[in-house]
Amino acid sequence: MNSKRWLLGFLATVVALGAAVLGFNWLVDPFGIFSHKALEWPSYEMTLNPRTAKITYLKDHHQEYDSYILGCSSVSSFPVETLNEYLDANFYNMIVYGADMLDVEQQATYLIENYEVKNLVVNVYIDNAKDYNVESDPRSYAMPPETTGESALTFYPRYLFMDPRHSLDKLRYMAQDTYLTQPFDVFDEANGAYDKKVRDAEPIGNMEEYLEAYPVFADYPDLSNQTNEAAITGTLESLSRIKALCETHGIRLIVLTAPVYADYLDSFPWDQVADFYTRLAEVTDYWDFSYSSVSFEPRYFYDESHFRECVGNMALARIFGDNSVYIPEDFGVYVTAENAADHVAQMASAEPLPLEEYTDQVPVLMYHHIDPQADDNTTITPETFEAQIAALAEAGYTAIFPDDLAAYVREGKELPEKPVVITFDDGYLSNYEYAWPILEKYGMVATIFVIGSTVGDTDHYKDTDYPITPHFSYAQAKEMVDSGVISIQSHTYDMHQWGPYEDTDQPRENLLPLEGESEADYRAALSADCETIRREIQTGTGEEAVHVMAFPGGYYDTLSLVTLLENGFDISFSTEVGTNTLVKGMDQSLLALDRYNMNESVSVEEMLSYLA
Amino acid sequence: MSFTSLPFLVLVLASVGVYYLLPKKGQWVALLAASMVFYCVGGGKTILYVFYTAATVYVSGRLLGHFNDLRRAAPKEERKAITAKYKPYRRGVVLAACLANFVLLYVLKYWNFTAELLQPLADHVRPGSQIPLSELILPLGISYFIFQSVGYVIDVYRDKYQPERNFAKLLLFVSFFPQMVQGPIGRFDQLSPQLLAGRSVNFTDLKYGIQLMMWGYFKKMVIADRAAVLVNTVLDDPWSHSGSVIAVGVLFYCIQLYGDFSGGIDIARGVARMFGIDLAENFRRPIFSTSLTDFWRRWHITLGAWMRDYLFYPLSLSKPFAKLGKFTRKHVKGKLGKILPTSLATFIVYFVIGIWHGANWRYVAFGFWNGGIITLSLLLAPQFLVWKEKLHINDKSLGWHLFQVARTNILVFFGRYITRAPRFLTAVWMVKETFLHPNLPDLWNGTLLTLGLTQWDFAVVIVGVVILLATEWYQEKQGPIRPMLETKPPLVQWLATMVLPLVLLFCFGVLRADYIPEGFIYQQF
Repeated sequence: MNSKRWLLGFLATVVALGAAVLGFNWLVDPFGIFSHKALEWPSYEMTLNPRTAKITYLKDHHQEYDSYILGCSSVSSFPVETLNEYLDANFYNMIVYGADMLDVEQQATYLIENYEVKNLVVNVYIDNAKDYNVESDPRSYAMPPETTGESALTFYPRYLFMDPRHSLDKLRYMAQDTYLTQPFDVFDEANGAYDKKVRDAEPIGNMEEYLEAYPVFADYPDLSNQTNEAAITGTLESLSRIKALCETHGIRLIVLTAPVYADYLDSFPWDQVADFYTRLAEVTDYWDFSYSSVSFEPRYFYDESHFRECVGNMALARIFGDNSVYIPEDFGVYVTAENAADHVAQMASAEPLPLEEYTDQVPVLMYHHIDPQADDNTTITPETFEAQIAALAEAGYTAIFPDDLAAYVREGKELPEKPVVITFDDGYLSNYEYAWPILEKYGMVATIFVIGSTVGDTDHYKDTDYPITPHFSYAQAKEMVDSGVISIQSHTYDMHQWGPYEDTDQPRENLLPLEGESEADYRAALSADCETIRREIQTGTGEEAVHVMAFPGGYYDTLSLVTLLENGFDISFSTEVGTNTLVKGMDQSLLALDRYNMNESVSVEEMLSYLA
Repeated sequence: MSFTSLPFLVLVLASVGVYYLLPKKGQWVALLAASMVFYCVGGGKTILYVFYTAATVYVSGRLLGHFNDLRRAAPKEERKAITAKYKPYRRGVVLAACLANFVLLYVLKYWNFTAELLQPLADHVRPGSQIPLSELILPLGISYFIFQSVGYVIDVYRDKYQPERNFAKLLLFVSFFPQMVQGPIGRFDQLSPQLLAGRSVNFTDLKYGIQLMMWGYFKKMVIADRAAVLVNTVLDDPWSHSGSVIAVGVLFYCIQLYGDFSGGIDIARGVARMFGIDLAENFRRPIFSTSLTDFWRRWHITLGAWMRDYLFYPLSLSKPFAKLGKFTRKHVKGKLGKILPTSLATFIVYFVIGIWHGANWRYVAFGFWNGGIITLSLLLAPQFLVWKEKLHINDKSLGWHLFQVARTNILVFFGRYITRAPRFLTAVWMVKETFLHPNLPDLWNGTLLTLGLTQWDFAVVIVGVVILLATEWYQEKQGPIRPMLETKPPLVQWLATMVLPLVLLFCFGVLRADYIPEGFIYQQF
């Protein structure tokens, strides 16, 4: 090979290699900036850089939205569904992590100039008094050139010429993707918010357990934050430009200040905080949620800087005057230039609510079969059962339904002084024969979780020849429901199979996925089961709402909880032993509730000691 | 402007393009322009120091040249008288030129070290007094361009050649960009004519230049930069590691240093080669050195040669040394008396080489280490011969040769403890740890994988070193590699000289070992 040919060959090889890398980065596009459909994975791309990937996503989907939420990551917890309902709109959550008000202004300007916008919700966080126009990572924090006016010649090469391992990673993570939220795809592309399905399916009860699981709250870092005049000026100027833009275009602008965890706000000198919130009111009226009793309750927060969606719902209910939702009295004030000074002065004195004002303790009893020959740890004789119920009545307990728990949590409707929830699993005929009359006699109510596939089986297990402890029929169930004493709820339609009697290698004995079952198959199976049991109970008994589940065998996991929630089963019972803590405003305190197992061997005294 | 940065490659490409487009007479201007751009981007305002050095050696060179001319022009019989007449002026000029540059180097590079040394003394003399420290930025490559320039003045003083009359051309010699940062330290009579020559495009030069650059990049990016990750982890904080891990750190430092330095030189030589210019060889496979002296003839050759020509010879031929020689021959018996002055000069040279590396006790110690061992072996050489005789060692045997190579490498290895330790005393402690608390299981219990490199990175470093050694072995035993490759079929050539190097460079060099995947910011949802 002569030198000239060598040089040409070398040049060609370099160009080919370079083109391969460029092409690969362009094709895989991990940051979602090239607006092509190949290997599209918006939730991953948004996780890498929400600033670019969301604008790219909207290029194809902006027709589906007419309203936008803007701000840093805490704004993610204002649920778009709730806003859509209150404002009859289609919101998209533009949250980007670490957003400063310049990012928000650039996004707002881009959206208003390019798309139809009816409403804008803009969140102001205390960090906006600290940071403005922050220098940050040029790839994962970059705003798209459409919003900043940056030259495409400097913007795109950063992504074309980057280390192709960024692209390889995307392919690698694609193979690892699951239905549940993973660190590499934390966004829900359809509404723009963080995908919180895992954290929102997390059963939450007493404070000690929560602090143990999330030690940051108990052991809050010692921060000493300062606001910064340049940041405040920048933030307020951006905000006033956004306001002017909205006025020009006839867009409804809602400015709010999201709840801040108390220890975080306290890490700023109070006079600086007061100054910021007062000056904010000079630019615009706003709803202030930043510092109230809510700020002091760790369970209302996912972590030290993100409040939960349930809190977002409370805030929106306050703004839109929805009285059906529990809202702590001191949560949310409409601040104007006139009342700003008074409000800010008052805000400083916010303090936690006494626990008894927004939490309650509820014991739950779990029965199964009532049998004159009671001989194992799930059976009880009618006599002992009656003695227990009589003792409850004697001791002043009021039996309540799961719906009463939900009313406490969601609407703040107080529970009776000594509440108890009585439950029966499986749906035995003995519940109809013995329990119902006894309960009625003592003025108690109970909930029976039936296994749909064995309702009415009095002789044989389903369509087999195997004998079965008799189960009541829907007709009998309807009688009980009609009496107002009994609520019939789900123990699954057919996910509590008795293995030895089933004609399969892999019986479904509980809610958990079968070994080797794909996520999609499992979710489909559980969803179908939920739909069937709900339909059967509703048609069979006239029960209005079937939304309570007792986990067969007590087994559950995150995926099953998430799937149940998506299918409307928002109250659930496990077989863990303990008394439950309900927290007003927190749906998660209705999940996987603990129960005391009752049987022949539990004495009345023992039972009362559980409840005390 | 780092050799491994994209702007450097762009500069090289652009200057090669412009160079060959210009008429031959003006081609050197492209080199000068590229050098100015290179220095301004990398060193900013410190380019003034380059001008300063160039100006001092230009003026002194012209003056010395003038004296030389006068002497040459004189009739033969007057020549001696004229030489004698101008001797003090010539000496004055060359001394002034040396001082003008070495004082600058001293102030910029060594003053703070001296000031800190003298501070206790100052405190003693006048309590509370503060010796002012220099806050000047150390200009890029200053140790190289000053040595190269001073060499020029001394050569003119010695009337080896005529001085350069065109300041811009001399400036190019002082600042030629490929060798600005890491050398090699060139000689005017070899380099300057090449810089100023006019050329047509020569594809072979371009090809060899590119190949040499790729080889340099391979050593620098694939091997050295990867090894550096482990080196920094271990040797920036040796106290957190056991003796054996420290030894691995030093071993990797040896690999890093050789890969980085010789790789950088190859890149420089490759770039120069693309302009048809051959830079001086700076490394000749030092791994095969049989003695420390041999090592310094193979490692950083141009520095050693500079020291030899401009320090060792003047020193050993100077009057004080001549007197010392007389004195030792008289008072010290035997061979020792004869070699003592030479040994002293040798010691001074290696000591200066040590200090040349930097202003720090470590480098002082490094000077002692090399100077000490080499001087000692000089002094003990007669004794060694006696021992060899007694032990019936065959000088020509492979075993002896291997022993010598191993011995040299071990000495170099321990020398590296000194130069890379955070402080000199730490180096001593590190050596002690290596022997007293090696905790050998650290070598296989997974500890090595916690030092910033994955097992893949280790594999890359090891394979890289094997390729490097195999190549050097071939060069040492068989001669140049490229002519051998050129006899192979085109496909083999294409794979071996283009695809494989480029893919290796890209995958293991450009894609750095310290790749940080995108952090997923909100893991909690």
